[in-house]
Amino acid sequence: MISRISYALRETAAGFRRNMTLTAAAVLTSAVSLLLVGTTFLIQRAFDNLLVQWRGDVGMIVFVRPDASQEQIAFIEQTLKAQPNVVNVDKLQYLDKVASYEEAKRVFAGDPTTLSLLSVENIPSQFKVVPKSPDPALVRSLADQYRTLPGVQVVSLAEDEFDVIATLSNFVRAVTIGMSLILLTVAVVLIWNTIRTAMFARRREIEVMKLVGATDWFIRIPFMLEGLLQGLIGAVVSCGGLWALNQAWTNGVAGFKAGTGVSSLVVPGSYVSGVMVALLVIGSIAGAIGSGVAATKFLDV
Amino acid sequence: MYGTDTLAVRDASFDIAKGEFVFLVGPSGSGKSTLLRLISRQERPERGSVWVAGQNINELAESRVPYLRRTLGNVFQDYKLLPNKTVFENVAFALEVIGQPKHIIRQQVPQVIELVGLAGKEDRFPDQLSGGEQQRVSIARAFVNRPLILLADEPTGNLDPTTGEGIMALLDAINRTGTTIIMATHDHRVVNAMRRRVIQLDRGVMVRDQERGVYE
Repeated sequence: MISRISYALRETAAGFRRNMTLTAAAVLTSAVSLLLVGTTFLIQRAFDNLLVQWRGDVGMIVFVRPDASQEQIAFIEQTLKAQPNVVNVDKLQYLDKVASYEEAKRVFAGDPTTLSLLSVENIPSQFKVVPKSPDPALVRSLADQYRTLPGVQVVSLAEDEFDVIATLSNFVRAVTIGMSLILLTVAVVLIWNTIRTAMFARRREIEVMKLVGATDWFIRIPFMLEGLLQGLIGAVVSCGGLWALNQAWTNGVAGFKAGTGVSSLVVPGSYVSGVMVALLVIGSIAGAIGSGVAATKFLDV
Repeated sequence: MYGTDTLAVRDASFDIAKGEFVFLVGPSGSGKSTLLRLISRQERPERGSVWVAGQNINELAESRVPYLRRTLGNVFQDYKLLPNKTVFENVAFALEVIGQPKHIIRQQVPQVIELVGLAGKEDRFPDQLSGGEQQRVSIARAFVNRPLILLADEPTGNLDPTTGEGIMALLDAINRTGTTIIMATHDHRVVNAMRRRVIQLDRGVMVRDQERGVYE
């Protein structure tokens, strides 16, 4: 067993040396495509931060003063439920102070100054209202009714806050996902081609191996490992790039004035780490698929 | 027995006992090589069956073929040595790729290199050897795993008569260890000198099976 493992590792290393240029091309393409995949994740997350308050077709948010009484809150809820023609009562959601504070942590992730001013005590709780009709005039008139209600701090409309951002977000998502899929395919094909070339270069060796009774898996595994490593190394490079990109972005955003909303575009470090793990997995899988297909198809030399 | 559009081997039925030395003779294209390839299951017959060491190898699952091949040794006219490996490495390769541990390799390879008469040349590369020496390496590689059967396809085809005799003496010595040898050839001299069983093919049909035969 040990001799088999050491054989596979030695052959994998030799494969890398033999095929420097093609390997470099495959690794770089994987790196670039995976970097794009990672960037897509980060951009999406940044937009999500901005839009997290409005997730689930929320059209209007009624912010309730932190010092509002239980009766005032109950009254607001009552009146909202009393309008089933305009308000989707099933989806009406009340975020108490604790839940609102959790949400604020995300919204103000890149704006620690604002966040530090908030606490579970002084944060407004909120009613998230999903309107039944998409008609903006109807929602707007609904909002006007609540602005003057006792205990209401402010009423925000989705329309005012984020329509442009939402459209932009969808566009950017479509473009980056499309491009990363194309590049990822290119990376798989390049790895496939590298392994095919490597197998062709060693067809005499493979022929002899088959004749003396080496199993197909024994012949295949070094080639598959080689491809998997190409994908993995590409992923490691892309992780480095992603980290640098995120650092530059975070520093850039910090330069904006607080409270402009841009600050919520910052992506937390834990999320970036998660994306990196995903990239390593995707890279390895792409490498394994490319080389696995080649190693199976070109075994009969 | 085997066929595509043109049948390479049409009618050839014979048994070979363990430890025999058999020549397959006949002109080029008569089906000698195909017969050898049928035995190592590089080809499969359309009809008929091939039995090796008690099993019908046509019914062998693809995943078992490597284990069949470990009981066979192959020697070729063009040696099929790996040019970037030394004599030692070429022979060791056959053990390495079937997962034999290092201590077995270190013990078996020098023995068989000595047996084929190449002691002292372990570190040479194939292009530093004569044709006869290269064929000895090829035989060492085929024999190092102690196969039941050695299949040799024109092993003297590229060699001058004297060198060919040396190779035949080596194959004879291997045969005396109990290894069955099936050798395809159209070299009259070696067949006539050895006086072993001769199976003659003509356009895919077995036309003669003779104990202690000559080439004709």
